[in-house]
Amino acid sequence: MRVLMITWEFPPYIAGGLGMACYGLVKALASIGVEVDLILPTVEEVYFKIRRPEDADILPIEFIGERKGYFTVQTRENLIERLRVIGVLERPETYIPHSLNIDELVEVIFSQEILTEKRLVEAIKRYLGGEESLFKRASELALRAMRMSKLIEFDLVHVHDWLTYPAGLAVKSSRKKKLVAHIHATEFDRAGGPGDDRIHKIEYIGLEYADRVIAVSNYTARMIIDRYRIDPSKIRVVHNAYSVSPYAGGEKRRLFKDPLVLFLGRVTLQKGPDYFLEVAGRVISRYPNVRFVMAGSGDMFSRMLRSAAARRLKDRLLFSGFLNRDEVERILKATDIFVMPSVSEPFGIVPLEAMAFGAVTIISKQSGVSEVVKNAFKVDFWDIDKTVDIIVDLLSHPEKRREIAEAGRHEVLEIGWNEAALKLNEVYRELV
Amino acid sequence: MIHVVFYFQVHQPLRLRHFSVLDVGSNRGIFDENLNRAVIRKVGDKCYLPANRLMKELIERYEGRFKIAYSITGVVIEQFKNYYPEVLESFKDLVRTGCVELLGETYYHSLAFGHDNEEFVEQVRMHRKLMYDEFGYTPLVFRNTELIYQDRLADIVSDEGFKVILAEGTEKILDWRSPLYAYTTYNRKLLMLLKYYTLSDDIAFRFSDRSWPGFPLTADKFADWIGNLGLVEKGTRNLFVNLFMDYETFGEHQWKETGIFDFMRHLPEKIFSKGNIAFAWPSDALDIVNYQPESISFPYPVSWADTERDLSAWLDNDLQYNAIETLYDLLREIKQKGRHDLLDCARKLSTSDHFYYMCTKYFQDGDVHKYFSPYQSPEHAYMFYMNALADLSEQLG
Repeated sequence: MRVLMITWEFPPYIAGGLGMACYGLVKALASIGVEVDLILPTVEEVYFKIRRPEDADILPIEFIGERKGYFTVQTRENLIERLRVIGVLERPETYIPHSLNIDELVEVIFSQEILTEKRLVEAIKRYLGGEESLFKRASELALRAMRMSKLIEFDLVHVHDWLTYPAGLAVKSSRKKKLVAHIHATEFDRAGGPGDDRIHKIEYIGLEYADRVIAVSNYTARMIIDRYRIDPSKIRVVHNAYSVSPYAGGEKRRLFKDPLVLFLGRVTLQKGPDYFLEVAGRVISRYPNVRFVMAGSGDMFSRMLRSAAARRLKDRLLFSGFLNRDEVERILKATDIFVMPSVSEPFGIVPLEAMAFGAVTIISKQSGVSEVVKNAFKVDFWDIDKTVDIIVDLLSHPEKRREIAEAGRHEVLEIGWNEAALKLNEVYRELV
Repeated sequence: MIHVVFYFQVHQPLRLRHFSVLDVGSNRGIFDENLNRAVIRKVGDKCYLPANRLMKELIERYEGRFKIAYSITGVVIEQFKNYYPEVLESFKDLVRTGCVELLGETYYHSLAFGHDNEEFVEQVRMHRKLMYDEFGYTPLVFRNTELIYQDRLADIVSDEGFKVILAEGTEKILDWRSPLYAYTTYNRKLLMLLKYYTLSDDIAFRFSDRSWPGFPLTADKFADWIGNLGLVEKGTRNLFVNLFMDYETFGEHQWKETGIFDFMRHLPEKIFSKGNIAFAWPSDALDIVNYQPESISFPYPVSWADTERDLSAWLDNDLQYNAIETLYDLLREIKQKGRHDLLDCARKLSTSDHFYYMCTKYFQDGDVHKYFSPYQSPEHAYMFYMNALADLSEQLG
């Protein structure tokens, strides 16, 4: 089985959960013998040949055409150097501000009768060729994938989220291969309501014309059934997992003498940072010997900072800005209570990591991850009172906190990407 | 007679590192030593050393008739010692001429007045001791951080033995009165000199502004303007043209290429050629005033900053208020617990510049703030500052 996989981000260059999920899946697929040819939004026309699990870290690069075999030595050590040669963005954008405005883009890019190749190319150029770099780059990726797919042998094509859906559709139609569309997050999640109409259309078309749709949770499956009317019979739920960091075991490494309550994620509407702030304010007034940290950056960062200051939370609520992977692990290692108050979270990998690092987690019921863990508190994102009560109770009872954290840690150590890979492989086999 | 009173502010804050939450408890130090050293070296070469050379030259040329005053903060002197001892030596050299007056202020260039008046007095005394230790000088004249002044300050400052205080000559307070006369504070305990802000800012801000009608500003022109001010006085009362500005005006805010040094070099001779203008120190006013000064009340705080001339550059938004309240709580706690090892660090966080970087006012003042700030935004300045405070409070336990 060989899969042509197209995604927008992949470690070491990631912006969020999508990259982490793709990495976990690809690695686990390789370990059960599924070969993956991976296409990323690179400057050079290349793909990554994943044949063994370790290739997910080495990322062996294959050029298309004349420069085939350009890299003779490919190791993990020279990865960054090689990525620089082929041109990979350090921080790929995964969403766009909704204030941007382009006229009637994507007036159904791929209209009902799919589509002669020539018309397809025209449609992509015409509708995705806007001024905004993100749409432009999504369309470039689609044209490139279509070109490259003619020179690679594979059994089916698997794409991740809307930025790669045009590419998936282009490959499906030009190579007559089955298409698997993975949905990690919908525009409804990102926008916290109706979002950019063009993105909705791309999501709808991608899901509608895919042969199978993989949803990261039942929550997301329901979302695309309700909102996009996608046929439930072709949706399969494959829950995300996480990769255990070798750093996760052992004792906590504290930053503060008082317990640390953490928010970690993009500081944007979807993630509910404003609920976290409200919770922090109320907890601090009842139990002052605590530190809250809001880690991450995003469009609401400045507002959150000002709001924390306006409440005079002193230095009891601190901010970190964007954290890289190493810093994320360091702060998780110092965390006692992890809160994920997302308004809408298709999955949410970070709570699993936080649990592995020995933190008690409080997660939004409006999330996929709440379907897979037992030893976590599950609260409606808007139920501030309940969240506050739980935190105050945990702060007042350290022994209870430790017990729950320990149970949680054991629970998530059982979770891995292999199960997800096996389920995916079943889906592939149904199609080929 | 008209008396030109020059006072120059010499100050550089200790800028913070980009201090992350993850740095709390790391003992890495909260100040950006490399940046602070670089600034002191740069400003030392562009401003302090050449400007001091020029002042020395003028003092020697006019044999005591050219007089100036400086207010030099404790935090800048510490940095001179660490990063550029020659600069401190050159100030000492100037003071030894006997033609320089040194003013009193807070050691840390802080906003302690109004937040913690005991702390304020301690910082004023630290500064007085420093002036004595470094220069053998005991100031008689006081100027508060950023020329911030209001009535309550006069009570504290007169109790500390000062005789004269400087403040901003804003119309908000002066109304129909002229800043050219000496006044007394509301309690009549201190003589008061008020900054003549238009002429001060002509040098400090507008000197190189080509869109300003006064451009180019020559020593001749400026001496004429000062001379014309004498027309307001029909009798024989002595007038004071108080020109207060950052010393960095020379060579740093106004680059050498603008001709600012040449302007200053020629100004005394043009002034003296008028016949009825002389230079004076602020403390000279005690002897020169030949009339009963009117007392003047500043019921609310006034500063020399921005167009508002109030406290809004440092204390306007929630970031600034939360930061400063947290700082003074921490300072009090440090003193209560007798943790003298942490006191100096916390006091260095009381320097007004830290709050200036958090200013979010827009329009033209925003640009000035941005020019001075080592951080990409007020929010970042706040974030690093609060993390540094948290680090201190963790050390306090």
